[in-house]
Amino acid sequence: MGRADGWIWLGAALVLAGVVAAAAPRALAPFDPVAQETAQRLRPPLWRDAAGRLRVLGTDHLGRDILSRVVHGARVSLVIALVAVAIAGTLGMAFGLGAGYFRGWVDDVVMRAADVLLALPFILLAIALVAVLGPSVGTIIGVLGVTGWVATARVVRAQTLSLRARDFVAAARGMGAGHGRILFRHLLPNTLGPATVIAALEVGRMILLESALSFLSLGAPPPTPTWGGMLADGRVYLSGAWWLATFPGLAILLTVLGVNLVADRLRERLDPKLAL
Amino acid sequence: MRRHGTTVAIGLALGCAVLPAATWGAAGTPAGKVIVAQGVDATTLDPHNHEEAPAYNILQNIYETLLERDDQLRIVPLLAESYRAVNPTTWEFTIRRGITFHNGEPLDAAAVKFSLDRIMDPALKTKQAPNFRLVERVEVRDPLTVRVITRRPYPTLDAQLAIRGNIVPPKYFRGTDAAHVARNPVGTGPYTFVRWRKDDEVVLEAHAGYWRGAPPVRTVVYKPIPETSTRVAALQTGEVDIVVNVPPHLVAALRRDPRARVSRAPSVRTLFIPIYTVKEGRPIAHPVADPRVRRAMLHALDVEAVIRDVLEGQGVRTATILTERHFGFDPTVKPASHDPDRARKLLAEAGYPNGVDLVLNSPDGRYIKDKEVAEAVAGQLARAGLRTVVRTFEWATYLNKMVYAHAADPMYLIGWGNTTWDADRCYYPFLHAGELFANYANPAMDRLLDEAQVSMNPRRRRELYAQVARLALEDVPILPLYQQVDLYGVSRRLRWEARPDERIEARTMRITPGTEERR
Amino acid sequence: MGRYLLRRLAHAGLVLVGVSAVVFGLLQLSGDPAALLLPPDVAADELLRFRRALGFDDPLPVRFGRFLRGAVVGDFGQSLRHGEPAMGLVLERMPATAALALAAMALALGAAVPLGVAAAVRRGSWFDRAAMGAALVGQSMPVFWVGIMLILLFAVWWRWLPAFGTGTPAHLVLPAVTLAGFLVARIARVTRAGMVEALGDDYVRTARAKGLTEAAVVWKHALKNAALPLVTIIGLDLGSLLGGAVITETLFAWPGVGRLAVQAIANRDFPVVQAAVFAFGTIFVAVNLLVDLCYVVLDPRVRAA
Repeated sequence: MGRADGWIWLGAALVLAGVVAAAAPRALAPFDPVAQETAQRLRPPLWRDAAGRLRVLGTDHLGRDILSRVVHGARVSLVIALVAVAIAGTLGMAFGLGAGYFRGWVDDVVMRAADVLLALPFILLAIALVAVLGPSVGTIIGVLGVTGWVATARVVRAQTLSLRARDFVAAARGMGAGHGRILFRHLLPNTLGPATVIAALEVGRMILLESALSFLSLGAPPPTPTWGGMLADGRVYLSGAWWLATFPGLAILLTVLGVNLVADRLRERLDPKLAL
Repeated sequence: MRRHGTTVAIGLALGCAVLPAATWGAAGTPAGKVIVAQGVDATTLDPHNHEEAPAYNILQNIYETLLERDDQLRIVPLLAESYRAVNPTTWEFTIRRGITFHNGEPLDAAAVKFSLDRIMDPALKTKQAPNFRLVERVEVRDPLTVRVITRRPYPTLDAQLAIRGNIVPPKYFRGTDAAHVARNPVGTGPYTFVRWRKDDEVVLEAHAGYWRGAPPVRTVVYKPIPETSTRVAALQTGEVDIVVNVPPHLVAALRRDPRARVSRAPSVRTLFIPIYTVKEGRPIAHPVADPRVRRAMLHALDVEAVIRDVLEGQGVRTATILTERHFGFDPTVKPASHDPDRARKLLAEAGYPNGVDLVLNSPDGRYIKDKEVAEAVAGQLARAGLRTVVRTFEWATYLNKMVYAHAADPMYLIGWGNTTWDADRCYYPFLHAGELFANYANPAMDRLLDEAQVSMNPRRRRELYAQVARLALEDVPILPLYQQVDLYGVSRRLRWEARPDERIEARTMRITPGTEERR
Repeated sequence: MGRYLLRRLAHAGLVLVGVSAVVFGLLQLSGDPAALLLPPDVAADELLRFRRALGFDDPLPVRFGRFLRGAVVGDFGQSLRHGEPAMGLVLERMPATAALALAAMALALGAAVPLGVAAAVRRGSWFDRAAMGAALVGQSMPVFWVGIMLILLFAVWWRWLPAFGTGTPAHLVLPAVTLAGFLVARIARVTRAGMVEALGDDYVRTARAKGLTEAAVVWKHALKNAALPLVTIIGLDLGSLLGGAVITETLFAWPGVGRLAVQAIANRDFPVVQAAVFAFGTIFVAVNLLVDLCYVVLDPRVRAA
């Protein structure tokens, strides 16, 4: 009781902080994240300028306030991760249910497709896709969503397989229910649990992947602030102006940690057997 | 008698001790090892089949050309002893006597003809072939004399032959296939090839029999380190001696480091922003079609601030695409002034009192701080009412899908550094209608450029290019920004200075005595 | 058993064809490399001639057919940039990537399995909480950030280890640690979860009742059962280690396949990309085949399936 609850509150708090930043960045950010003041570039944290305004986390290489950019960056990173997980989760549910319920060639096709996706190194696939479609928030969401359905599909499929053999399904069939009804009324609700847990775990992974893509300059284009992009911009400054890369890195770490804490406890409550 | 003997003996002994040190720098035994860190590895060591700086840097220690540029960038003879233009389409080169390749083959006119023919061989499809498009044929007149006949007057042939046209040993090249040659170079240069482990290192060793004397450094190693912070860190830890492309903000830190220093050289490359005035053969349907809008953009820019703040002062303001070292540069042409009020007035005159919306396309990571420069420029333009959004692309996509496809309107950032150091190869591709990079059509400009391209009279060419520069300032087909400054990190144990043509010549390196062997 | 193997092999072949097709399609859509291979001020007709010579004007199915025919005999074409056989370039660099992947995996296993086991045994204690907390943090850190910080700390500030390249075992340390970081977290958590479940099983109680030492119970019996999910994760991770080492290889200038593949994509060097992806796919499929065979050995229930 006690141990689990403590951590989940910490996790929830971190996630809430991220969500608030994403929902109302202008309320939290003291400055305009894209306003350049090149004369104020690379100022350290807690630096006060001539007009007396405080830059809590310092400025970047173009004089932009880092705290404001981190706050605004939350929106991009979180929206990308959430929408991507929603897409991946939906696809995964659909494929998993289809594969588990209809079996036969549907199952074969889905599982083979999953294998192909897993055998493709994600980074290379992402680079190639972005090279084709051009870098934008939409492309990133697409890349993450379209390649992320495997985990959900596998879990949903396993669950479906074990459910379809159960009595209530046979009973429904006996009463003349069609495939669609069985799928939506009986199977879907029972697979939502594990699917949600996987989705929660995936959010953290998506945030990390998005930052990796931004790091490779495949993410949302400037001047939109993204945490991964800020890390990429700041990495050449690490030995001198460490704050450019450290704070967005910390933001990623804390957000993903929060998400993972919540997801982990969720998993323990709902289905401890789920692999990580 | 004996006293004299002792004195002589002591003198001799002292002489023997001092002599090696005195001659060490000049023609003594090569010693020591130097490691150079570039950003990428060469993709081939075939001197005719690449167009990349990293490969040039490695190969010009192994292979040599007929001519070269000295450290003042003047074209001087190298493997050729002398040369002259016999008539507007014929050049004659006299080869130096007595030079041999690393494998013993002699350097003669036949080798020169073989080498140049190989570049132009249509079956081989070498990457340097397009530079020799205007060469019709190469003739051997006698064992030490070669003539190059061009299709039409080609005033920049000597500039080309100062970087390209490496002379290779015919028997070796004929006796093996292109794949072997690409991994095992043999030339006339001061260093011989030892080994190449791809993406890891290329090792060269001093050639004791080099015709200009053995070079002082015994072993030179080129290593590719793609990540900038890692590369600079490697200099600080003493793992490498020369580091290419130091980012401007690390200059101060390196200067403070007891082991390192910074060597800078203004580059042949300048950065600028071409503006689309025509698209698909017709004037573009966009506010930038109006020269007043373009002039407004020129005055809205504060390039000095960009150089000072984004590049930490490592840049030189330019008025055109040319640097002061280019042939055709006119020092009387001054860059436009930073005047945001005038910019706004021009915009209003052109009928845009509420400003204009623009897109600036830029590569990311191709040039030093390219993305940051684009962002800074966009910010400056916005302050004068020219609201600009920056779109960045990785280089391959940028080149293929934006620049070459003429889809980068209304404007894009590009850097250009043609190592012929001649105005023709800088202006022509961007300002002449119909050219690969041009999105501009001005018949007056075309006339000037066409005449300057084929005139063999340097004075006339200079006059024409001066007119081109003035016309460009008035009609603003491009927004000139700055000349890049190449920054190299160098270990303090090494005496070597950066060159403006990005070359890293191992022959000129000197290690401080006492530090020959690496720790 | 033989039929099972045959089926898995056929399936593996299908996966490889699928992987190649996807990458092939993507690459062809990303534009041709002709412009990147020639000098910048080349004439437009020269560009076209070059494209045609490289075969970029043929229709897609024709080109894919050509690729498949070559792949079957191991011929992936010449690298457009290096002028050498594409698969040769990939295989040349495979030992370096393999060394890095194996070192990282060995490091991760060596650190994570004991950690996971210890945490499971001391379930609920502060040790358990601290260990799993650290693991969670480790799973939340961006790889490249970790790598850069390690270089800064161990190479630049403390001068203990080299910052880049290969040559000595010392050169392997920082890249392997960077890669292993994420793995340690995952493996530790999976091990702990598996162990917790195994330790709660009936037969463990039986073993304890029979008088076996705690160590024997934990290490011989429980671990064997926890091994199943662990082996799966290792199989998946090893495969993706090879591909995902891309950022690490670039950061540490490690001459591996990941770095080659990224450069090849940037240069649109299609044959090399295809060869690299095919090689990765083959290894991944082979490793997972091994994992499946391990399953059969470890869990007799699967044999019947």
